[in-house]
Amino acid sequence: MKKLLLAAFAFASSVCIADIAVIAHPATADTSLDEVSRIYMGRAGGLMPVNLPEGHPLRDQFEQAALGRSPAQMKAYWSRLVFTGKGRPPVEVDSVAAKIDFVAANPNSLGYIPASEVTDQVRVIATIAN
Amino acid sequence: MVSKIKPLSLGMLLALSATAAQAEIRFNGFASIQAGTTLSSSDNLYGYDNEVDFKNESLFALQAQADLGERLSVTAQLMGRGANDFKAEFEWAYLTYELNPQTRINAGRLRTPFYRYSDFMDVGYAYDWARVPSSVYNLDFNNLEGVSLVRFGQLGEVDSTLQLILGSYSGTTDINMATTDADIKRVAGATWELVQGDFTARLAYLTGKLTMVDQDGGLSGLLNLLEQSGFADTASQIRIDDANSAFMGLALGYDNGSVVLSGEVVRARVKDTVIPTQNGYYLSAGYRINSYTPFVSFERRDNDGKAAIYQALAAENPFRPAVTGVVESFTIKQDTWNIGSRFDFHPSAALKVQFSSQKDKVADRRDQLLSVGIDLVF
Repeated sequence: MKKLLLAAFAFASSVCIADIAVIAHPATADTSLDEVSRIYMGRAGGLMPVNLPEGHPLRDQFEQAALGRSPAQMKAYWSRLVFTGKGRPPVEVDSVAAKIDFVAANPNSLGYIPASEVTDQVRVIATIAN
Repeated sequence: MVSKIKPLSLGMLLALSATAAQAEIRFNGFASIQAGTTLSSSDNLYGYDNEVDFKNESLFALQAQADLGERLSVTAQLMGRGANDFKAEFEWAYLTYELNPQTRINAGRLRTPFYRYSDFMDVGYAYDWARVPSSVYNLDFNNLEGVSLVRFGQLGEVDSTLQLILGSYSGTTDINMATTDADIKRVAGATWELVQGDFTARLAYLTGKLTMVDQDGGLSGLLNLLEQSGFADTASQIRIDDANSAFMGLALGYDNGSVVLSGEVVRARVKDTVIPTQNGYYLSAGYRINSYTPFVSFERRDNDGKAAIYQALAAENPFRPAVTGVVESFTIKQDTWNIGSRFDFHPSAALKVQFSSQKDKVADRRDQLLSVGIDLVF
């Protein structure tokens, strides 16, 4: 039980305090962090951003660090676009592993994952240090 | 703000169900459940009186969006407002064609983009107040049928959203308690929103040709009588018939994550009619502390009836009192203070409490309202 708790704690902290790598398909050109945040805000086209589910700690951390907004603010932001024909939020996948697979399979896609989980299926185009 | 709009045909919904087999349909929705009561039995504000009311400002909306592929999609938003007995009507119903990632064209029933919050004024979750400031958000012509082009772009560090819109409006509105048929032809306008970091600025300019006819014939009857009695000139200064109308709006906002400031000033003119220049503005300041966003705002509405219309009539003219009454009914001078807070108590819901106190300087009265509501998105 203690081990499990420790493991859970280690997992949680690895998610919450990890550096974030912004990943893309190996064929994707360099993209600045500014451009990445524009893409995740639906303000720039070209690349297809991939999100994690609402409430995922890494998503909260990414949105706070890269977009400067809390989960409630993000939700309010998207509700301004979704219900007015001005845009739609990024597609969501269930897990970091699913996101790596998605990005590796889709040449124009973009994602964020813990820097420690980067594989050679994808290319790191930016890093957000914690 | 009750805008009665004739229901659209069911074509859009049929189009949705016809494509159900091939296309993925996404459903989103939002709702507000708001209760309010004025503080004393003689007060009246925003449709509330001294009895606690849960219906007046509550609403439910469901949006369906179907991707038809090839950059074409169709969206319909069905909304039921408590003030309209939750009778569901299409508030938006449009096709979207993505010309390129920066440019989209929407065609169908759209929101008329007068104000900064016009597009999402029904989505309470999208802002902190209990309601958009009525001193500014009071044009009843919320929607139009037409086409809009939205273009996103960047000017150096600045994100730009340019919207061009063309269309027409047909519906009814209430003028001084009288139900009035309203038509605006040839609506043409542009809005331009610029965002740089924490700052937002928005400009809007729209024009159209406004015609209004009261259904009970009270005003039309007076105008006919004036014409028959040799006062055609006075009648023509009152009548709202294909009148050149223009709307201007400027909004500024600042939001650094903690401090939330916003302000908007609007002016509308309907040339050569009884409708005077419409002036309104608001200023609002809030501060986010964790899940709470307390705010305070001030609004002013300041419309001077066109006294020159009745002053041109001789003092003993038998029509003068009636004309004076009509003209002065358009004089509106109101100051409103609001204080309240938003509380994000749930990932998809916000609780809002707001106290509003409105001073009507024409009637020399003050009306005070306390409202509590929950706004959801799903």
